[in-house]
Amino acid sequence: MKKKRKLNVQISRRDFLKFTGTVTIGAGALPKLIWVDEAFAAIPVSEGYLLVDTKKCQGCLSCMLACSLVHEGTENLSLARIQILQNSFAKFPDDLTMAQCRQCVEPPCVEACPEKALYVDKKNGNIRIVDTKKCIGCKSCIQACPYEPGRALWNPEKKKALKCDLCFNAPFWSEKGGVQGKQACVEVCPLKAIQFTKNIPEQKGDSGYKVNLRGESWKKLGYSTD
Amino acid sequence: MNGYAGKILRINLTDRKTSTIDTKDYEQWVGGHGMGSAIFWDLVKDKMINGFDPRNVITIMTSPLSGTLVPGASARTEVQGIGIQSSPIGWFTRSNFGGRFAPMLKYAGWDGVVIEGKADKPVWIDIRNEDVKVKDAKHLWGLDTWKTQEEIWQEVSGRGYSNWVELSPESKTTQRPAVLTIGPAGENLARVACLIHDAGNASGQGGFGGIWGSKNLKAISVIGTGAVQVADPKGLMEARLWAQAKYSLDLENIGASWGSRFGRIRPQNVYWERHERARLQACIGCHQGCKEKSDTGYGNESTCVETEFYQGYDKWKHGGRQTSAAYIATDLLQRYGINAYEASKGLAYITALLKMGVLGPRGKIQCDLDFNKLGETEFAEQFVRMIAYRKGIGDDFAEGFFRAAKRWGRLEEDLKTGILAYSYWGLPEHGYDPRAEVEWGYGSILGDRDINEHDFVSLFFLPSRAIWVGRKPQPPAEQVVKIFVEKLVPYENNPLMLDYSTENIYSEHMAKLVVWHRHYTRFWKESVLYCDERWPDFMNTRIPGYRGLTGEGEPRFFNAVTGKKFSFADGMELGRKIWNLDNAIWTLQGRHRNMVHFSDYIYHVPYAGSGNFARYYLPGREGGEWKYIRVNGRCLDKGKFEEFKTRFYNLEGWDTRTGWPNRRTLESLGLKSVADELEKKKKLGS
Repeated sequence: MKKKRKLNVQISRRDFLKFTGTVTIGAGALPKLIWVDEAFAAIPVSEGYLLVDTKKCQGCLSCMLACSLVHEGTENLSLARIQILQNSFAKFPDDLTMAQCRQCVEPPCVEACPEKALYVDKKNGNIRIVDTKKCIGCKSCIQACPYEPGRALWNPEKKKALKCDLCFNAPFWSEKGGVQGKQACVEVCPLKAIQFTKNIPEQKGDSGYKVNLRGESWKKLGYSTD
Repeated sequence: MNGYAGKILRINLTDRKTSTIDTKDYEQWVGGHGMGSAIFWDLVKDKMINGFDPRNVITIMTSPLSGTLVPGASARTEVQGIGIQSSPIGWFTRSNFGGRFAPMLKYAGWDGVVIEGKADKPVWIDIRNEDVKVKDAKHLWGLDTWKTQEEIWQEVSGRGYSNWVELSPESKTTQRPAVLTIGPAGENLARVACLIHDAGNASGQGGFGGIWGSKNLKAISVIGTGAVQVADPKGLMEARLWAQAKYSLDLENIGASWGSRFGRIRPQNVYWERHERARLQACIGCHQGCKEKSDTGYGNESTCVETEFYQGYDKWKHGGRQTSAAYIATDLLQRYGINAYEASKGLAYITALLKMGVLGPRGKIQCDLDFNKLGETEFAEQFVRMIAYRKGIGDDFAEGFFRAAKRWGRLEEDLKTGILAYSYWGLPEHGYDPRAEVEWGYGSILGDRDINEHDFVSLFFLPSRAIWVGRKPQPPAEQVVKIFVEKLVPYENNPLMLDYSTENIYSEHMAKLVVWHRHYTRFWKESVLYCDERWPDFMNTRIPGYRGLTGEGEPRFFNAVTGKKFSFADGMELGRKIWNLDNAIWTLQGRHRNMVHFSDYIYHVPYAGSGNFARYYLPGREGGEWKYIRVNGRCLDKGKFEEFKTRFYNLEGWDTRTGWPNRRTLESLGLKSVADELEKKKKLGS
């Protein structure tokens, strides 16, 4: 069994955490302590996350276009750090999925990087971020991401890894990004199907990251809010 | 070249050879229709050929804005070539469609695809970035459009699409290839056959499906992993957020958009009963989708007339209740690849003939359709399959119902009474009748097809919808007209351009409106490819004063992407140039003003309008006062329409005797070589 260490974090009751192979304490109250694998114990949790509503998304890929535009200065779906996958012929709601970086509490991509180029930026909200100057292009982070599709990407032109930085480093945008600022995908989404939160989402499974953002106004478009 | 991939793919199906055209050679035409017309002009030496001739060239073009974040302009693809649907001549024509095709073509590194020749056996074209292959399509031939796409998706990825798909070690995507394909109707050379992309995006008018069939071209698939360069990324992002925040739909305050087009209070453009468990579905880059996908899996992505096609029959058969028949019937049109306007107007026509006792078991025209099942899925399937496979009388239907009527010896009579509601060029009337909303009819008959450009229809919907429910229309006619005409550069601030009173509809003012409309759409909507569903935005009720985005929006986005310094008026002038080139092509095909006429019923049968359209209101002056006037009950006057044509040709600088372009006008637009060619063919106007 993996070693566990107690980690002191400020989280709300909603952020009840449960890790694979770990025991969570403090359930039901306002837990101040969570258990994480020792390997990650020194890694502070991110102060920002993206949540999505896959039933609200209209599949326009504007989030992908905005992501690529503000980070790379070009329009390129393959360089978007959020990916929308859809099938014209399938039935709602299984016709579409949204894949955003989870800013994992236990980030395998950070752990996998041999150069510490993918690091936790402690000065800037603990965002899991790629320092492209240090990145040697070994793709370890891309292979390490356990999610499908992988949330760390490859820029074939620059031979560097990319991943969501919550727009902390978005050179082609006039707005300030990061956990204290705005995120291009959130701002551009015409249906507000992407939301930024400072609360840590449930880590097990998808339910913490794929949420219901429809609200009462959604009914005015004639759609169910269930 | 910001906004451009830099090259256009040229494919000769006859020898299966591919080559490239440098986009720079055609950059002066900007993109889409302009580029397509110019390439067609250069490559098709004999413009007199018919659409089935292997020498017919089909251009499939993107715009500099394709694949970018520009709202409602990222996803249209413009298709052009000599059509097979119109009559008496299959005009050089156009049709565009949305979805993902144009963006994907750009990401793959192509500004367009030019199809020439004819393959000796069925082929499909597999584009994966730079890699282009003309492949055998034996296994795809005979499949419906949806199955064809799924087959190609599998073939390209080798597995599914739940993860990154590796096209090469250095190029990955999570996206499915964008496939444009024909169904059985196209394979069987139906003149009513479409090109279909994804579930419900169609290039419908012109009969391009049948043309692809004649070329043995089943499908074009494209997947790209590259980039579109943007001149001013910060400016583009800022403009997008500005337009979205200010002009589009605010989900928390939907009501404010009650009279807007850019952000519509009811985004879905569907006419059947909607599903609650569904999503709004958009094309790439769009700020407000108009399609839907539901948990039934029926009717995915279909909009507008496709959703209208069978829902009335379904409800009529089932006591006012909508069943799955309406959705399935539409899906069948998409899967077999059939033009929904022809199917819709055609079905109305043959049911009228049935009632008259002319068609069916007791009539002269034999028809195997079981009309007792009209409204059921079974009937729709029988009808659609008859067209697609040319079975029995379906062989006539597949020719389009204008030609079918001709075969049955009924054309003249049924155009006189109007039971065959085909008002221009042997093509189905759209709903915005030429007798009522004249700019639609004029634009269609002075061009090549039912224009399907909804730029001014809110002048009808705005007052009429209020009147239908017993409310007083707001704002008043004079105010609405003022808001609109401010934006009609270079003819701005002339309210008489929007006076739809019978006294004014043949005037020079109305001719100016038609000129403006032709030039605006040719450039901004068909070359830059702003979508007809969301543009233009004349009036926007979210804004104090109701002044919409049009005028400012079009060039702002265009310049942010391309880095050019184009004004709205520059675009209008380029639209004029493109429109002139098109008229030169029609002239070489055999057009003369003598044949520019509506079908007889437009001149002889007063416009009644069915359903709500029986109360059709538009702005106009009555006794010098602006009102919303009812335009039902009128015909067009043939003699006055002749006078109107003269006014129109004069404004365009065309020969009023023939309607042909003249040297002075063409040379002023930099089209000297076009004038030379017309002169050589003795078709230059004086």
